[in-house]
Order: sequence, then C-alpha cells, then structure tokens
Amino acid sequence: MSFSFHLPDIGEGVIEGEVVQWKVAEGDKIALDQPMVEIMTDKATVEIPSPRAGTIAKINFAEGEICPVGDVLVVIAVEGEAAESAPVAAPAPAKTSKAPNGNGHHAPAAVSNVAGVPAVVPEVIDATATRGRVLATPATRRHARAMQIDITKVPGTGRNGRVTTDDLKNWTSGGAPAAAPATSSSMVHVPQQHTPVAIERVGNEERIPFRGMRRRIAENMSRSKFTATHFTYVEEVDCTDLVSLRNRSKERAAERGVKLTYLPFFVKAIVASLKKWPQLNASLDESTNEIVRKHYYHIGLAAQGPHGLVVTVLRNADQLSIFGIANEIQRLADAVQSGTATRDDLTGSTFTISSLGKLGGVMATPIINFPEVGIVGVHKLEQRPAVRDGEIVARWLMNLSISLDHRLVDGWDGAMFLQDVKTLLEDPNLMFMEMI
Amino acid sequence: MPTMNIIQAVNDALRIQMTAESKMVILGEDVGKFGGVFRATSGLHDEFGADRVIDTPLSEAGIIGTAIGMALYGVRPVPEIQFSDFIFPAFDQIVNELAKFRYRSGGQYPCPVVIRTPYGGGIRGGHYHSQSPEVMFIHTPGIKVVIPSNPYDAKGMLLSCLRQDDPVLFMEPKRIYRASRGEVPTEDYTVELGKAKVTREGEQVTLIGYGAMMPIIHEAAKKADEQGISCECIDLRTLMPFDLETMVASVTKTGRAVVVHEAPKTAGFGGELVASICERAMQHLEAPIQRVCGFDTPFPYVLEHEYMPNANRVLGAIRQTLEW
Amino acid sequence: MSTTTPSSDDAGTATGHPTVAPAGQSAYFSGDVEAKALGLYRILREDGTLVEGEHVNVDREQALRMYRGMLTIRIMDERLLALQRQGRTGFYGESRGQEAAIVGSAAATAPQDWIVPALREAGVGIYRGMPMNSYVAQIFGNGEDPSKGRQMPCHPCDKDTNYVVMSSVVASQIPHAVGIAWGMKILGDTDKVCVGYMGDGATSEADFHVAINFAGVSKAACVLICQNNQWAISTPGSIQTAAETIAIKGCGYGVESLRADGNDIFAVHEVTRYAVEKARAGGGPTFIELLTYRVSAHSSSDDPSRYRDESVTDVWRDDRDPLSRARVFLEHRGWLDLGQHDEYVAAIEKRVREVIATEEAKAPPALDTLIEDVFEEPTWLLQEQLAEYLRTQ
Repeated sequence: MSFSFHLPDIGEGVIEGEVVQWKVAEGDKIALDQPMVEIMTDKATVEIPSPRAGTIAKINFAEGEICPVGDVLVVIAVEGEAAESAPVAAPAPAKTSKAPNGNGHHAPAAVSNVAGVPAVVPEVIDATATRGRVLATPATRRHARAMQIDITKVPGTGRNGRVTTDDLKNWTSGGAPAAAPATSSSMVHVPQQHTPVAIERVGNEERIPFRGMRRRIAENMSRSKFTATHFTYVEEVDCTDLVSLRNRSKERAAERGVKLTYLPFFVKAIVASLKKWPQLNASLDESTNEIVRKHYYHIGLAAQGPHGLVVTVLRNADQLSIFGIANEIQRLADAVQSGTATRDDLTGSTFTISSLGKLGGVMATPIINFPEVGIVGVHKLEQRPAVRDGEIVARWLMNLSISLDHRLVDGWDGAMFLQDVKTLLEDPNLMFMEMI
Repeated sequence: MPTMNIIQAVNDALRIQMTAESKMVILGEDVGKFGGVFRATSGLHDEFGADRVIDTPLSEAGIIGTAIGMALYGVRPVPEIQFSDFIFPAFDQIVNELAKFRYRSGGQYPCPVVIRTPYGGGIRGGHYHSQSPEVMFIHTPGIKVVIPSNPYDAKGMLLSCLRQDDPVLFMEPKRIYRASRGEVPTEDYTVELGKAKVTREGEQVTLIGYGAMMPIIHEAAKKADEQGISCECIDLRTLMPFDLETMVASVTKTGRAVVVHEAPKTAGFGGELVASICERAMQHLEAPIQRVCGFDTPFPYVLEHEYMPNANRVLGAIRQTLEW
Repeated sequence: MSTTTPSSDDAGTATGHPTVAPAGQSAYFSGDVEAKALGLYRILREDGTLVEGEHVNVDREQALRMYRGMLTIRIMDERLLALQRQGRTGFYGESRGQEAAIVGSAAATAPQDWIVPALREAGVGIYRGMPMNSYVAQIFGNGEDPSKGRQMPCHPCDKDTNYVVMSSVVASQIPHAVGIAWGMKILGDTDKVCVGYMGDGATSEADFHVAINFAGVSKAACVLICQNNQWAISTPGSIQTAAETIAIKGCGYGVESLRADGNDIFAVHEVTRYAVEKARAGGGPTFIELLTYRVSAHSSSDDPSRYRDESVTDVWRDDRDPLSRARVFLEHRGWLDLGQHDEYVAAIEKRVREVIATEEAKAPPALDTLIEDVFEEPTWLLQEQLAEYLRTQ
C-alpha cells in the first residue's frame, strides 16, 4: 500500500542531498514520473520524478533539510499495490546473485546469504600458538612434523641457533624420546590439564600473546613442579677462606689465560659431594620404572641469557681441574653469546647450579631442571656479621638453596649432601686433599 | 634440420601463417619495404604485397588502434611496435581497448591481435631502446604475454599465438635475436602456450627466467655445477598465463629458487612468481626465494652490463639460498 | 545482418535510402576545401522552411521514419533519465537536442555498414535495429544484457547490426573505425562503410589525430562524424580548440571535411549520404562536423547551470529544437497529419515503458560470468580466484 522512496545516490558517490523544493505537498495526488522534488548535491541540482502514482503520504525532509542517501525521503501511498519498501530478498543458489531491490541497487553477488541470519564468525586458529620460538626453515619444520618430533625440544646448531634437519636426525638417534607419552605407566600423576582461566578485562591492561620462549619455559616449569615433589633446604656457607684463595689465585689464573670466578669451586665441591651421594645424581626413568644413577657428572649452569633462561652443560666436570672448569665455563658462555652452542653444550646435565648471586636475596626455592633431581641456587657472596668464638666478626658469607625431588631423595640425604658441599667450600684445602 | 636464429624463426613463422591465413595482415613502421629494422619481416612485403604487409604512418596508437578495428572486422592483424620502449603511446589502446573488447562485449567482439615487439637491453640502446615493460601488460587482464628465449620456441609459440583468438603481446628478446641459434624445423609446428620448460634438471636450486635471461641462467648453472651445486633451470616462455605447476614441482624438489629478469626489481614479475610459489610450496622452502633483476633505474647506456643480471649475480644468489 | 526492407516497427528502426537524386547535388558540395569546412550546410531553416535552392532528398516514408526515430530518442531519454533520478539505474547520458544529428546520419547508412559510436549514438543503433530491450538491458546490467552487466549504462553492444561497443575513453574508438574500414578494404568488402562517431572534445585527443591521419593515408571507406554539441562537460568549444571550426581540422590530414547544421534532419541525412556513397564508391574517407547543442547535462552526474549560461541553452531548446523544426516542415508539407505526432508519442512511450518494466524485473548476471570472456577460456588463475571467493562466502 505504501511505497517508501529512499534517496538514491544520484551522482556517483554522493552521500547526501539538500531538499531545494518540493513540487508536491502531503496529501497531494501524484502521477507516475511527475516532477516531485528538487534535490541539490555537491555535483548537481536535479529534479526527481515520482517513481509511483498515488498520494503523497509523508514527507520526511523539508525544504532546506539534508537527506542522507539511503534514507526514506518520501512515502507514497500507492493504490492497489502491496507494501514494498524492503529490498527483494531472493533465494540464491550457489552461483547466481540476488535480484535488484526496489531502488535499483544490485545486491552483491552473494552466495546463499539469507537476510536475517547472523554471520557466523569463524574461529581463528593460530597455528603458531603452541609452537615454541624456534628458528627453522619451513622445510625443516615439515621434516620435524613428518618425523613426529616436537621441534621446540630440539636444540639448534644452525646459523643464529636455527634447528637444522641434521639436528632433527641427531635428536632422534641420540636424544630423549621425541614426545613424552601422554599417558605413561609412571606412578606420577601429572595434573597439567585444568579448565583454562579466563581473565576478564576490567581496566587498564596490556595483553601479550602467550607463546614462544615464554610459553616453553612455562611448560617446562609446570612439568617439573608437578612431577618432582620439591623440597628446599637452605644453608649458610662461610666462604672467607675461599675468597682469599681465589683472590690469591686470580692473577696466577690470568697468567694462564683463565678467568677465575667462584663458580669452578662450587662445581668442584658439588661434584665431590655427588660422588658421595649418588642418589642426587640420578633420574627416574618413568618408562621402565627404574632409578638411573649416573656415573658421569655433567653440571648444568643455569643463567639468564640474552633471550631468557639458558642452561649450559659443563660435561664431565669430575675430569676437569678448577682451571679446566673455569675455561670450560668461559667457552660455554662464549658459545651461547655467539650462537654456536652445540647440542652437547645445552643438554644432558645431571645436576644443575643456578647462580642467583646478582639477584641478591638469601633464599630461594629453585625449580629442578627436570628430569634431574636436584638444583642448587647460589646466593650472594658478601660480608656479613658472624659469631666466631663468641666474637662478632665480619665473614664472607653465602647462602645455598637446594631443591630436591623427594621421590628419590630423602631429606636426610639432601641435607647431608649440602653439608658436605659446605664443608668443602669452607675449607678449600679439603678439596685439594680429596682430589685424586 | 636447418639452424636458425630468432629473427629467422620469427620470419619463418610469419611467412607460414601469411600463406595459410589469407586474412592475416602485418603492419607497422618500416615493416614493409624495409623488412623491419631488425629484418623480422624481411621478404614478406615482396611475397604478399603492400596490401598485406603495410607500412604505416609513425604512430603506435594508430598502428594498434587500426589493428583493433581490423580484428573486430575479421582480419587477423599482426602489428609490430618497433621497440617496446615505444609501446606507450599505444598503452591506452592496448589496456583499455584491446584487452577489454571481448569482455565488455560479452564475447560478441573478440579482438585477435598479436602485437610483436622487441624488448630488453644489451644492444647499447640506452633508456629508450632497452626497456622490459612486460609486467605492465601481465597486470592487464585480457592480454596474454609470451616471451621466447630461443628460435625453436620463437617460431612454434608465434604460430600458436597467430592461431588463437585472444590478444597477445609477443615480446622478442632483441639482445639474442641473432646470438641465439638452434635447430628449427622448416615445417609447420606449434609450441603450446602457457607451458614452461625445464631446460636443465638439477637437485638443489631452481633457476627461473625467460627471454634473454635464459643464456645467463644456463651459464650460472654451469658455473654452479663446477662448484658442485646442481641447479634446475626453467624457461617460463609464457608469462600470462604462467605455468605455476612446473615451478612448484621443481621447488618442491629443490627447496630453493632464484628468479631472474632484467626488468627493474621492484614490482617486477619476479615478485608475483615468488608470492605464487610461496603460496604453494612454502613448506618445502629451505631459504627465501631470491630475485636477480635490473636495478630500479632507467636503463643505462654505459653501465648497461652492470645493470643487467649476469651469471655472477645469479651465482651469488644461488649461494645465498644454499648458505642461508 | 538486418533486413534491408523497412520494418513495420512504429518506432522507426529501419534504414535504407529512397530512390532520389544522388547526394552532393547541393551547391555546398561544390565549394572548395575551406568553404566546406568553414561553412554550414543547411536544408531546413530554424523555422522549418526550406532554404532557397535546397531540396529534401527523402520521401515521405523515410522522413516519417526519421521523425519517429527522433521521437524515440527523446522519449527514451526522458524515461531513462527519470530512472536514474529515482535510483533505479546508476547513470544516464541524454542526447536531448541532438536527435537530428543522430538519426539523420543513421538513416543514411545501410544494414551492412558498421557503426563505431561514442556516448550519444545509442539512437543510431536503435534506429538501425538494435533491439530496445537489449539497450535497456545493458542500462540495468541484467542477465540478458549481451555484455553481461560489465559496463556502466549507455555502453550498448549489438553484433547483429554491427554496432561496436565503446569504452568510456574519449576518442579511442576513432582509430577502430578507421581500422574496421581498412579491414573491409583488405577483405575486399567494397560495398561496406564504417561510420565512426565522436564529440567535439574528442577532436582534442591524440587518437583523433592519429585516426584521421591513418584514414587519409589508407583511403579507407570510413565516415568520421563529429557531433559538435559545443560542450565537453563544462568545457566550451572556445577552450577546446583555437581552430575556427572542428571540420577545418580534418583538412590538415588530407581528408575531405564537411560541416552541416546538426539540428537539421535533412541536411544531416544528405551530408552523411554523400560521404557514405563516396566511401562506398571507393572515394575514401570524409570527416563531418554536425553543429548542434547539448541541451541536456553531460550526464546524470552533471549540473550545467554551474558552468554555463542556461539562457543560451533555452534558445537552443525552444527555438532550435530539431524535432520542432522537422515537425513544422512535415506538417506543412502534409507528410505528418494532425494528431499523428501525438499518436507516435503515445505508441513510443508505451513501448518504452513496457521495455523498461520487462528489463528492470530481470535478475543480474550469474557470478561465474565474472571470469568469462577475459580470454576465450578462463585461465587457471581466474578459476582459482573464483573458487577462492566461493570458499569465503
């Protein structure tokens, strides 16, 4: 019955028109194509003839007003016709497009877009989300997938630390199983799955994608903490004699091209103690339910590298002198810096030291470098007051925090181990005397 | 089988088709009596007459514009643009008219015009006798672009172009007009359009090019071979539509590619090839695809050979893909 | 090819010339090169009376056919412009005031001749038998449009009547007209002529000069007609060229150049007939300027009141209207009965409205036509692109 006339785009990109003059008024009869209204746009002033015969029912924009293109300019009561203001919706088989609507605007050649059905927002799946930040060519990634290797686990020996296809091959031939079986026969319950926590947007916040190195670290930490039953034991060590030993030896060392820090002494003391306490240099093989006590001593040195936490591995620490250890520590540091660290330099540790000295603090609960069973955090070495023979004196003191896996290591063993380390560090002469 | 160079092969193709198709006509500047500045139409004026081998006024727009009219009417015109550097006065006729006639007429008015034009540098031609504008036409929907690199393909592909009904820009690598020689059958034969050719098989790196770059690519492949690097070479031959399948099959095998063209690098056809190959073969890539191209400068005169890709640059790019 | 016998279509859509005196008898045609290019050939004065010494070289049937042809254009323009104003189509270019130039020249062609139009020559196509439905289908761009909805309105195409689809590029079609004529020559079709149209603005474009030069050199059987309506959008002729007339430009290319009153239906017909017969007889190309006036706006996007003195337009609309001028003559001559004009108008208007209603209701072209006709067969690239689109919808 009523026809709503929408102001069309009468000039190639015009968005609105000003009503200059109505040739008819509400209530007037109007014939088909009879001049109806004059509209002024940026481009032209044009006269619009009536698209219908009937009576002017409603004028929505008066003279001088601006009508946006697409708005209903005027409603005409048409005799004997069904209402038709809405666009004609046409069923659209796959390849044909809709019929034009009453205003001559062709609907886009859409396929089966029935009016009124809300669009389904497709879920965006970011394929890189679960990947660690690994550098590798597309081809290498494909090989990794084909070989069913989690490429984020493979240390890269290529340029810039890239994982190469050779790295993949070495990984499968010599390294740990590619992916830890989801359900193992171990007694250990790994509650890693829980309902994901949603953080509501409440106020001023920054959102950073959780992926890459950060995510990898998170996964490793979770796995360690939820598998090994951690306990921590802290002891204070009087390093006064060690300090003077080192200070005396620094120059000698430098003459031999050795940069002598305290770390080599720590390594030596720990290795000596591990020999006495073999259950701390061990791992649990969950696939065979065996405790593996290792007779090789590869000490992991955890430190904050340029890209985050890095654990370098000082292999066969029991076969190196203090100077040898010092050199090796330097070599490993350089290798990490230059991106030339090999797989052996980065994996295979049996026990780990975490240098926390720079951070200050007196105690920590380090997380074990899984699947090892022990990690020693070394705190700041500094002068503090101590009581010796009833007197308060200034001594060089340092705390050691050791975290151990209680499944394999009893409290007694763990404490005694650390006491042995303390003894050696407090009286370095003992290290000399126990050496073979 | 006789040996021909590209000029002779083109001439032969034109002669064969002029004989077979009475509606075919050749037109352009100096193509008639003179036989063309490169002699590509030599002898045809005498054989087929001035009405069919037509010397036109000096006007590229007129040559192409009237050729379009002729084709609309049912003639098979083969206009020559003397140097592709001079195609630009006819650019509007090619882009807005020739390429769109079939489309805008709903198929009622196909426009079978085959434009022949020498392109490329290396003949000490400077800015205006050395350009490689192929990408502007590849980017114009409705026109095919064909570039032979050797006499056999030149004759066979030109005959294919002359026997199909779409507009074609047939670009002839003038630098090797005479230098490229090979066995060419005297009889009538065609080479399929839209198909690239693997001209050398290899395992480690795919080298892709067309026209006058093929000898450069082959030279680089040979040098690489001496250094123990095995290269596969592909001659694109048709640039629109291009044979992506052949390129992808090769790069899937080798994992590395170098694209070579003398046209300026930025927004050159190499970019399209790299993007298209990556879309299909990304997961096989060991290194980014390299492009060895002309500089983004007008084509120089004295520094011409430094400007154009040479075997050393291609070899450098090969090594880059291996050492990446 | 359409038939040579006139159709019984009331809208006057047949061509063919009556057996009258050969063209070129008028004193105008004996003038020298400059006189013809600087003069203004006229048969009917503005008041509808004959110029001394001139004759109308058509019979009654032909005259009425031409008159109906002009009416058809006038009525079609009114209705189709209204459609644009109502938003039912996107664009329209009227030819108001130029009906005589359009129909007079069309009427002088034969069915086997080819037409290369510019913007305001759809009336030529319709007069020669291009179906009105086809023309209106193209304006709507519906699924029956022979061009499959690819171009904006007023770019019709009709192979059957040799009407070549234009682009929107000004003057680019003129070399095509010359090439078609040249092609006719090459293939030995000496009974055919190609008529190429253009506006005054086109004669500034390079393609005009290129084409008319080629026409002169090739001596192709073409007639190049410039409808000089004195405006190229807002650019008046005085800015377009320093040449005294448009026709004089053709002389420089060695092409016979004529100039006629474009609002005089009989002069237009006669001068075109002269050129067409000359070409058909192997006399080579002719360039014709038809002086008229663009009473309408350039197109539906244009508002001429912003750049020209519309009081001048009023004179052309009211005092120089080609239809009125013809009507006065026809009624005075007794060739048009009283009331017959109104009958014609009613019949044509009815027909136009029917065609519009029919074509407006039709659906647009199917999606897969998008990739057709780029080449003879869609390339793999185009097929992939269409498939990608369908996947995302």
